[in-house]
Amino acid sequence: MGCLVARRFKSFEGVRRVKFRGSWLWWGMALLGLALLPREINEYYIHQGVLIAIYAILLFGLDVVVGYTGEVSLAHGALFGIGAYTAGILSTKTAWPFLATLPASMAVTAFFGGVLALPALRVRGPYLAMVTLAFGTIAQILINEMDFLTNGPLGISLQKPDLWGHALEESEYYYVVLAIFFLTGFLIHRLLISRFGRAFEALHGSPVAADCMGVSVYRYKVLAFVVSAAIAGLAGSLFSFNELFIAPNSFNFELTITFLLALIMGGRKSRLGPVLGAAIVVLLPNILDDIQLFRWLAHGVMLGVLGLFLWRGWKQGWNHWKSWIIPGIGALALEISSHRLQDMTDWRLTIFGALILFVVYYLQNGIVGWLRQGKPAVTEADFPLSGEGAVQPVELERRSVAQTTPGPLLQVSHVVMSFGGLRALNDLSCELAPGQILGLIGPNGSGKSTLMNVLTGLYVPTSGEVRFKGQRISGKSPTRIALRGLARTFQNLQLFGDMTVLENVLIGLNHRYRSGMTETLLHLPRFVREEKAARARARVLLDFVGLAGEASREARHLPYGQQRLLEIARALALDPDLLLLDEPAAGLTSAEIERLIAVLHKIKGQGLALILIEHHMDVVMSVSDQVMVLDSGRCIASGLPHEVRHDAAVIKAYLGGGEEAQHAGN
Amino acid sequence: MNILTQLVLSGMALGMIYAVIAFGYQSTFATSGTLNFGQGEALMLGAMTGLSLTGEIMGGPYLNYWLMVPVVLVIGSLQGLVVEFLAVRPALRIHSEFGWIMSTIALGIIFRNVAENVWGRDDVPFPSPLPTTPVHILGANILPMELGVMVGALLLMGLMELFNRRTLYGKAVVATSSDRGAAGLMGIDTRAVIAFSYALSSLTAAFAGVLIAPITLTGASMGSVLGLKAFAVAIIGGLTSGMGAVVGGLILGIAETTTGFYFSTGYKDVPGLILLLLILAWKPNGLFGRAAVQKF
Repeated sequence: MGCLVARRFKSFEGVRRVKFRGSWLWWGMALLGLALLPREINEYYIHQGVLIAIYAILLFGLDVVVGYTGEVSLAHGALFGIGAYTAGILSTKTAWPFLATLPASMAVTAFFGGVLALPALRVRGPYLAMVTLAFGTIAQILINEMDFLTNGPLGISLQKPDLWGHALEESEYYYVVLAIFFLTGFLIHRLLISRFGRAFEALHGSPVAADCMGVSVYRYKVLAFVVSAAIAGLAGSLFSFNELFIAPNSFNFELTITFLLALIMGGRKSRLGPVLGAAIVVLLPNILDDIQLFRWLAHGVMLGVLGLFLWRGWKQGWNHWKSWIIPGIGALALEISSHRLQDMTDWRLTIFGALILFVVYYLQNGIVGWLRQGKPAVTEADFPLSGEGAVQPVELERRSVAQTTPGPLLQVSHVVMSFGGLRALNDLSCELAPGQILGLIGPNGSGKSTLMNVLTGLYVPTSGEVRFKGQRISGKSPTRIALRGLARTFQNLQLFGDMTVLENVLIGLNHRYRSGMTETLLHLPRFVREEKAARARARVLLDFVGLAGEASREARHLPYGQQRLLEIARALALDPDLLLLDEPAAGLTSAEIERLIAVLHKIKGQGLALILIEHHMDVVMSVSDQVMVLDSGRCIASGLPHEVRHDAAVIKAYLGGGEEAQHAGN
Repeated sequence: MNILTQLVLSGMALGMIYAVIAFGYQSTFATSGTLNFGQGEALMLGAMTGLSLTGEIMGGPYLNYWLMVPVVLVIGSLQGLVVEFLAVRPALRIHSEFGWIMSTIALGIIFRNVAENVWGRDDVPFPSPLPTTPVHILGANILPMELGVMVGALLLMGLMELFNRRTLYGKAVVATSSDRGAAGLMGIDTRAVIAFSYALSSLTAAFAGVLIAPITLTGASMGSVLGLKAFAVAIIGGLTSGMGAVVGGLILGIAETTTGFYFSTGYKDVPGLILLLLILAWKPNGLFGRAAVQKF
């Protein structure tokens, strides 16, 4: 048994790999069933089946942007259209073979995905959603207007796809699409469980922290859009060979909405969700066409809502009756409209809209999330840590054990940081030697956190310069500064809340990978080696801060004190030469503070340089070699801890300037 | 030369419409940090209900144009309250940005689809309340309604500024926009203020709808592109600057009429959208907006 555990543990992806293997059987059976399907059903349903597979392919890609990076893309209908038109134009105007048009479409849409992501450097959330909407609108206008290329509103008719001189029948095309569907799903799965998927998720969790962990938000957001767009292009080109006719109004805003509905209804961050969602949105119009079936559905919803209401009320009391008003009205409206209307087809979009509202508020994790509810996915806790072979000695690693350049590690000279009229840092200079621990104290608003943000590149100083390991870092991006060996934690925790504790640390270890995307997708040896090493290293770091037992918990479920420690572990994962800790003890209980002090001493023992902002004097005084006091953006005192404690100016800054204060100091 | 003057004046009228809609975006963004992605549909509903009251489409006319406007404003603000209640409030409660983006989009397509089923899918003309013979200004032929649009838009924006500056309710709105938490602690019912801002936002959109309808066509799909371009205007000017909305509106309106004339009407929406992409890539706080310092 122990041997079995150990062997399974060698699977470098740990949890996710195992999870995938468990469902491997199901996917295999699904493949077999789908392969036999064309024998049983008529041509119309085969056509619908191909459409489901095509939509599912697109949704795999949409999930990268919407599920993982958490942005709303309203451009995927248009990207799908661009892919379809690329295939259509290439195969009608230049007679490219079918198989060659697929990568061409992917390349074209990948390019547009990159263009689309360019503003993503500056904007996110609703702004980015509007950017994608504007892009989609422009694309539709251009497809409509550029009739020399696209035939304008008349559309393009295609020949049946041709494979080595043989025109594919519907059922044969079904197999081609099915194969591409499984291949895409497989590769996307590998991408999303790798460091790339983790980086995408980190952008959503906390962009600032991602940047400061050496995971460039911009780079990975562009990458996510490019991958997502390329897959949309693939799906689009398959679509045009399935329909054999494409026109501009097939790729409108409604299509985008349909895709989004399918994804969030099926379930984000899952491979099964897109398939379910695609099946629902493709088959739903068939249900709406059949008014009788629709009425039964309305009855079902009505009874379901009523049943749930009564059951919940009986179980948990009737206090929450108010939250049932809207579902009740919704079900009633559905029931009435199903009897009043003879034809639901025209109301398709209203139904879609209502479904989106329903999913957003009552089924946030989609059908897949609902099915998984209460039954947590297999986690790493299933594999006891003792199974991890040889326990590695806990030791921090650093970029450069010996200083390559002589002189101070960090050199801040005459830094000024103004916000409008306020000078948050006013001509500040200081130095830090390798391995030195600097305690940074000062009243609130004295510029401590501003200094941190300047050092890590989040703010560009108004004037002055910062040198780290002999090189100028002021003006460089946070990512580059982080990768040079300067790590930090945040005063207001910036963890990647939806990710596990282990994955949080793995984000910090992203810099250790040399393997690229191809190696990741194909699981080439270097990638396998690096992934194993990173996971082992992450466990060592968690052990270092005392969180080894929590590796598979979601970070947001950790107690507050442990979240602070996790931030330290994540920062250490960068293998920094200098670690900045911004109020690590804030909000901690005294027991937790003791644990923190112990960890700080361990870090100190490893010879890592540290800047520590803290209000808890016992923490500062027990750890620091030097203490610097800031007030109004200036350094008012610095020296050994006990000297600073008795400095008159410091006491004045903290207690206000009076004679008594000075006496109190003496 | 005359052509250019004419294009500029028409563009100004159009731009003022955009500015009015952009004001609506600004008001909800200020109080709650949210935007109604169905703002264009609020405009469309204003225009369509206006047409039902003054036109023959629903067996009317029931009211003349001037009496119709206040009715439309009331209906518009009710629609805003519905949006706030169904789409925004639940999302703010669960702190879900994805939630309000998706649910305002969903409500938008529901409104549009309902309008398609109630009023049909075709664009129809809207009877103009002012004479339709052009007047001559600076050698250009201008429709009186285009002047009416400018006057109406300025009037509405002026009233909103006055409301914000001079009344206690306006101060509550301003207080909520500058710090929702603190305003709440001072006894301001911030939820009511947010609901009010949505009512105001849809009201301005509905007003823009009845203003622009006589100089364009009215139909269920008229709103979506207008809403998007008005967002472009709000972004160009900066989501926090009223002056910016006017300037942004004028830039976009004039760019649009000139493109439509010198290139092709098919491309007239393109410059505004490209401008939106460029501004967001280059200066996301807009030409007049101020960047807030982010704290970490």
